[in-house]
Amino acid sequence: MKSLFINTSTKKLVIAIIVDNEIKYIYNDDNSNELSGKIMPIIDEAFTKANLKPTDIDTLFVTNGPGSFTGIRIGLTIAKVMAWSLKIRVIPISSLELMASMGSDTQYIAPLIDARRDYVFAGLYDNELNSIIDDRHVLLDDFKNEVNNKDVTFVSHDDLGYIDSKYDLLKVINKHRHDEGVNPHELNPNYLKLTEAEEKFNEGR
Amino acid sequence: MDTYILAIESSCDETSVSIIKNGSVEISTVVLSQMDTHANYGGVVPEIASRMHIENITMVLEECLTKANMTMDDITAIAVTYGPGLIGSLLIGVMAAKTLAYIYNKPLVPVHHIAGHIYANNLVKEMQFPLIALVVSGGHTELVYMKDNYSFEFIGGTLDDAVGEAYDKVARVIGVSYPGGPNVDRLAYEGNDTYNLPLPLDDDSFNFSFSGLKSAVINLAHNEQQRGNEINKEDLACSFENRVVDILTKKTMRALQKYNVKNLVVAGGVSANRMLREKLTILCEKESINLTIPEIKYCTDNAAMIGAAGYFAYKLGRRADLTLNAKATDQLK
Repeated sequence: MKSLFINTSTKKLVIAIIVDNEIKYIYNDDNSNELSGKIMPIIDEAFTKANLKPTDIDTLFVTNGPGSFTGIRIGLTIAKVMAWSLKIRVIPISSLELMASMGSDTQYIAPLIDARRDYVFAGLYDNELNSIIDDRHVLLDDFKNEVNNKDVTFVSHDDLGYIDSKYDLLKVINKHRHDEGVNPHELNPNYLKLTEAEEKFNEGR
Repeated sequence: MDTYILAIESSCDETSVSIIKNGSVEISTVVLSQMDTHANYGGVVPEIASRMHIENITMVLEECLTKANMTMDDITAIAVTYGPGLIGSLLIGVMAAKTLAYIYNKPLVPVHHIAGHIYANNLVKEMQFPLIALVVSGGHTELVYMKDNYSFEFIGGTLDDAVGEAYDKVARVIGVSYPGGPNVDRLAYEGNDTYNLPLPLDDDSFNFSFSGLKSAVINLAHNEQQRGNEINKEDLACSFENRVVDILTKKTMRALQKYNVKNLVVAGGVSANRMLREKLTILCEKESINLTIPEIKYCTDNAAMIGAAGYFAYKLGRRADLTLNAKATDQLK
């Protein structure tokens, strides 16, 4: 397996080339500002450093949210167009699962992304990255109540008072390397939240 | 050798891809409009527009290539609208174009959305220079002097509302559904010019101002309502449209005269306006002006016009690299 990994859904940009079980090149950036301008040169450099061409890869891994709507779309547009034009397998991965990949000493790990106004995008995973509670958009307090009887570690990149999350990329890749993948036309963001206009429109019905 | 430009346009609520040969021959165009969705909200909702662009981008690309019976290997260069427009919408087209340019190692040509509207005219007949371009849309009302390809000299523009914007606001006041502009235009045709509305900014400059006219319509509708009088929507639409078209044509004809130019092109969504088309046709015939107005399908946002503009930009050596970013606002240059 020769693959490209793209994460633009969280605050930590990750571009990596993974060949079989080895990370040939990884770019980590804690600053996802100016993403749209800098991402393609980073991908180009990743291929160059790994001594591969885009046409050499057979698999694309891409996080499809939740997170910053614009951020998700930047990585996902690249993945969609690449997978469509190269006719290769594309595997979407939850950004919360990527955050959970750091593992914990507790039974479960709960990644959180600040969604403002006391809301978070949250999920609950075990240390093998099985999803225990589906990723959701939820009031932080409600989510905490829901999991408060469980042995859980909360992680977040945001200023929510929890430890920061690091990614174990190979763990995520190994979990998904045999996934079938999705049709690039149907590879879409998992926002977990309607737009405000849609919410108001639905309320008015 | 023929030059085939694959063009992508996603600046507002249309996802469009087109293949244009030598800047003038349309091989295939696909336009996926989101208008019906945004109609539910009375206007374009930027976040919804962005969401729909990403859902559709690869399907529109595929359909365009399939219709053209071509592959990416047949394409000379990739052109994309980088701005101005809705930033989230633009980004989908820009990222898609950059990815294609990278994968297939093709030149990437950045195209200004308004240059696209102007060059839509080259799909009708070859543009002759020097020319005056009247750019009229939801975001623009400008007179541009072009002595040659990609030489844009701004000679006048709106000081407040764009003409399309004024149309949309008037539509709301007289209770016409979205999209307001085309619907007001339709109503105007059924009415008579009976309302006493002012001719906006009728001075010696080439600038426009539509806020006064817009306010006059709002006040008139409000006053009639207070008096318990029903307004005649058709007549009000007709009176409004007459003033708008009068001032647009008056200043355009004067610009042609002052710059001693015999070629006029009309560009932007409002060039679909029936009264504007008719009046310009009559005036230009009288003055022996070579007038070009795009077909209705090229007036609204589409990638064919970006392919036409992209061809000339490509020939002039205009290129973007992989750092190309979308711009919400940018001067035509």
